[in-house]
Amino acid sequence: MQTFLQLFFSGLALGSIYALVALGFVVIYRASQVFNFAHGEFVMLGAFLMISLVQGGMWWLLALLVTMAVTGSVGMGVERVVLRPMIGRPVFVTVIVTIFVGALMRVAINLIWGVGERGMPTPWDTTAMVEILGARVLYNSVAAIGATGLVLLGFYLLFQRSRIGVGMRATASDQEVALGLGIPVGRVFAFSWFLAGALAALAGIFLGMFPRIVDGNMWLIALAAFPAVLIGGLESPLGAVIGGLVLGVVQLLAQGYVNPLLGEFGNNFHRVFPYVIMIAFLMVRPYGLFGTREVERV
Amino acid sequence: MPTKPLSVRYEDDLRLLSSRWRQLGVVVVLAFALLFPLRASDLWLTLGSEALVLVVGAVGLMILTGFTGQISLGHSAFIGIGGYAAAILGGTYGVPFWLILPVAALLSAAVGLAVGPFALRLRGLYLAIVTLGLVFLVAHVLRSFPEVTGGLSGLAVPMLWWLDGPTVSSSPFELLGTPLSSAIQKYYIFLVLALVSVLFATNLRRSHTGRAMAAVRDRDVAAAVMGVDVARTKYVAFGISSALAGVAGAMFGWESQFLTIDATVNLVISIEYIAIIVIGGIGTVVGAVLGSVAFVVLGQLADAFLGELPLLSELSSSQRRNTFQAILVAVFLIVEPFGLYGIWLRIKFYFMAWPFRY
Repeated sequence: MQTFLQLFFSGLALGSIYALVALGFVVIYRASQVFNFAHGEFVMLGAFLMISLVQGGMWWLLALLVTMAVTGSVGMGVERVVLRPMIGRPVFVTVIVTIFVGALMRVAINLIWGVGERGMPTPWDTTAMVEILGARVLYNSVAAIGATGLVLLGFYLLFQRSRIGVGMRATASDQEVALGLGIPVGRVFAFSWFLAGALAALAGIFLGMFPRIVDGNMWLIALAAFPAVLIGGLESPLGAVIGGLVLGVVQLLAQGYVNPLLGEFGNNFHRVFPYVIMIAFLMVRPYGLFGTREVERV
Repeated sequence: MPTKPLSVRYEDDLRLLSSRWRQLGVVVVLAFALLFPLRASDLWLTLGSEALVLVVGAVGLMILTGFTGQISLGHSAFIGIGGYAAAILGGTYGVPFWLILPVAALLSAAVGLAVGPFALRLRGLYLAIVTLGLVFLVAHVLRSFPEVTGGLSGLAVPMLWWLDGPTVSSSPFELLGTPLSSAIQKYYIFLVLALVSVLFATNLRRSHTGRAMAAVRDRDVAAAVMGVDVARTKYVAFGISSALAGVAGAMFGWESQFLTIDATVNLVISIEYIAIIVIGGIGTVVGAVLGSVAFVVLGQLADAFLGELPLLSELSSSQRRNTFQAILVAVFLIVEPFGLYGIWLRIKFYFMAWPFRY
């Protein structure tokens, strides 16, 4: 039970990072029907930026906000320069473009910050723990879980109560009709990319806080979060969060309980396990938990 | 002389090369491909062989993505299966290369057909990401049996003429009294394989199955209504595509002579193949060939010239290649969605209509 709880809480913390990453995918996909393969690079950009700012002497919380704003602006720029001209083109084409935008960002980050490993600064002691139900949990993990909860609440308010949020929902359901009704669709796109960039930065900061290190391979987190997005359903923010949390918990439980069962084959099996689950899940529900089922018309 | 021959008989429609110009073009390209190794330096000979490997793989992906419209990020999984089939059969059991080719193709096709059921239920992005999962799964399986696949340290891939026989490098083939080097022998073997796959894809596209694929790509529901067996068409596309990828993987192994899991089965290779068919022109066989050649040649040029630029000289050579490739693909997608083939069409139509604008 002790191990189970330990794994469960670590999984929840990892899962909330997956959830933040997955939310970024969903926000962009809902608004502009683009599946942003460069999202992992935004995560990485956020982490590197945060380290530089804090090392430059900026107050931690302010650095957090600045990082989110800057990364969000980069996202907005990418949308304006690269993806705006591609509106109306097939999903496939925009996917390829974002893959290569990601590759370019990776090179740029490499040039600016180099390839060395760094540690993410935290306002509290990095190794400090709190005891919950007998399991010892890092402050970092608690902060990640808490931040995800706040973001989810913010999202709910945004989508239900704010003008731009309602505009985003309208754009998600039909871009042309939304435009016809006077919703500034271009501004909705820009705002969605900004939001996704900011979320990516937040995810990057918390990802860097685990004993993991901030380095040039950080973008791979996006690939690891794909199953969360697809299990949750491409269009649903709630689905992304649930998918992310489930993914994190399942991954760590698999590491603890499934890997040893498989012997030689079990080495690092937990890394591919989410994909196995995703494939099995999609066979049953091809549009994920909360995704909208496409109605086929000819 | 009419620029386009009129099809007056049914046989005219059936001809593989419909006009004198096309026949001429094919003869010129073939002559160039045949004579190329006799004059090329070692570096360009290697690049030529690399391009031929890419042609086979790109034709495979073209059939799946270009003809049938199924996005696959899993091409490198099949490349890996073919490559490791060649490495294990050739290295451990001494199987000759011409026997490995069908085995690699069948093995890959079997895995491809296993993906089929997912392709029936999923489309677009969902399919792309499931096939991406396939890459991770294949890499994991290969990594889990280090005593067979060599694990992280990799495997050598010998290319044998017959069972436990001499390798391609030490075979007794001669041309005009001088023994042919292993690189030239490989080049010609690869050339034959590439030609066969190009011819196969060209004919496939003109066949009943090929037209069914195009119908599925353009609107699968409409295709089903018209009596196209969508499920069967997708299965066939996945099977053929992965079989060709298996062959390309075996060729890749022989070309590089050494395989490691990380360098063979990863997302980057899959993306490179997508870049190739996008640069060449999606939906055409010519596009696959043009794209492969352009990919190799431009990559080489980028390596040589981008290094001179101030900021980019700090990058490693593979990073420089990736950067160049990324910019190239982005520009093509935004400016000329049909790739090199699209540019060629524009030039052709300009001269066909000359002296009028259209």
